[in-house]
Amino acid sequence: MFESYLRIFDKYGPDIFSGLKLTIYITIISIIFGLFLGLILAVLKIYGPKILKILSSLYIEIIRGTPMVVQLFIIYYGIPSTGLIRFSPFFAAILGMGLNSAAYQAEYFRTAFHAIPVGQSDAALSIGMNRWKIIFYILLPQVIRITIPAWTNELIALTQYSSLAMVLTVMELTSVGKFIGSKTFMYIQSFTIITVIYVILSIVFTRLMVYFEKRLAIPGVSVVRGRGSIF
Amino acid sequence: MKEVLKVIDLKKSYGKNEVLKGVSFNINENEIKVIIGPSGGGKSTLLYCINFLTRPDSGKIFLDNIELTSPDTNLPKMREKIGFVFQHFNLFMHLNAYNNVLMGLVRVKKMKINEAKEIVENSLNLVGIDKKLWNLFPAQLSGGQQQRVAIARAIAMNPRIILFDEPTSALDVELIGEVLKAIKNLALKGMTMLLVTHEIEFAKDVANEIIFLDNGVILDKGSPEEMIINPKNERIKKFLGIISKEKENV
Repeated sequence: MFESYLRIFDKYGPDIFSGLKLTIYITIISIIFGLFLGLILAVLKIYGPKILKILSSLYIEIIRGTPMVVQLFIIYYGIPSTGLIRFSPFFAAILGMGLNSAAYQAEYFRTAFHAIPVGQSDAALSIGMNRWKIIFYILLPQVIRITIPAWTNELIALTQYSSLAMVLTVMELTSVGKFIGSKTFMYIQSFTIITVIYVILSIVFTRLMVYFEKRLAIPGVSVVRGRGSIF
Repeated sequence: MKEVLKVIDLKKSYGKNEVLKGVSFNINENEIKVIIGPSGGGKSTLLYCINFLTRPDSGKIFLDNIELTSPDTNLPKMREKIGFVFQHFNLFMHLNAYNNVLMGLVRVKKMKINEAKEIVENSLNLVGIDKKLWNLFPAQLSGGQQQRVAIARAIAMNPRIILFDEPTSALDVELIGEVLKAIKNLALKGMTMLLVTHEIEFAKDVANEIIFLDNGVILDKGSPEEMIINPKNERIKKFLGIISKEKENV
């Protein structure tokens, strides 16, 4: 029984490895893209001028109100059909997941902004800071720390969602599993391998985030207790 | 005597509730004025209106003869000159005591960190915050220590005047003294101050003038002598009676 696993590793090891690499790339790049866009959306939704507030809310509602597969199809099949621009499958997957994740992350950040007592903003105003300085130097460092647990959740979710890239023909981990299964007819074995890799990857991501969370922890701001740091 | 702050006919309503019904007064350089009066009388609202943390509905405010209430005022620039000490300290929770004081110097006054060093250290020393507390975060400090750091944060900006909004109301009784001492130190340095407090004894001690604010209007004002030791106004007598009874109960 073990033999069949070894045979798969022997023959398809490099494929599995390159699939894992793509999965990691898609996850990391799209969550970072989503992080920046999500922060911008959150800030606009809370502090922006009225029109941008509305647009930001609208974006968040539409993205959260539609399936990710549909969003990926629009980007990969829909947009090129207008003749404007064509994306590679890999790029389309990252774009779609980044745009999707941004909407969810924006909501995490928004709640964190609201969690900071308004008195700190009053104090910042009273020493002559303007709105943007307050957001950047007073609120953001705290928002990041408050959001880390929720953000870890998003990272893990996105790791699993990255498998949707297979519908755009990206040869990420799940596609590789399916490919190996269809070649060898050892579906159970190939998908068991893929499953274990996903679990390990998720655990590694979680541990990494717990490390950062402790590393950046500040008493009175962070959820966890840490040894304190400068930021 | 040079006039630092002038408030003319200031009004503010929250919905139908008129909190300030036309308040006027002024403060000269080196003067200390204390506002007393019952809760809900508009004392805090008045302070918040002076540096526009709350926007007044009408009236005029002048700082060094520059009108804050005019629409083309650079508000952040003006607020920089008005220190504010809050009832609940409002320290920046992600910064240690030292960096709380440093923040305004670096990000508002655009100083280099080593240029600001002396100012930060002097400010913290003035309010009696020991060097071994400088690296602690607000959550690791007592209420009295936090409030003294907040006072240091205000004085580091070298303001023309400092507004105190009940600086000791949120503190345990045994911590009030250290904060009052820090404020007293400022008074001795000649800082111009406007103070809202329920510490009547302290008010009597430091104030040049006491203002009694009740129901959105200044009911009376005068020297501590006239206002506290021999008050003529029945309303003020009654208020002082209640305050001293509360003190006895503690």
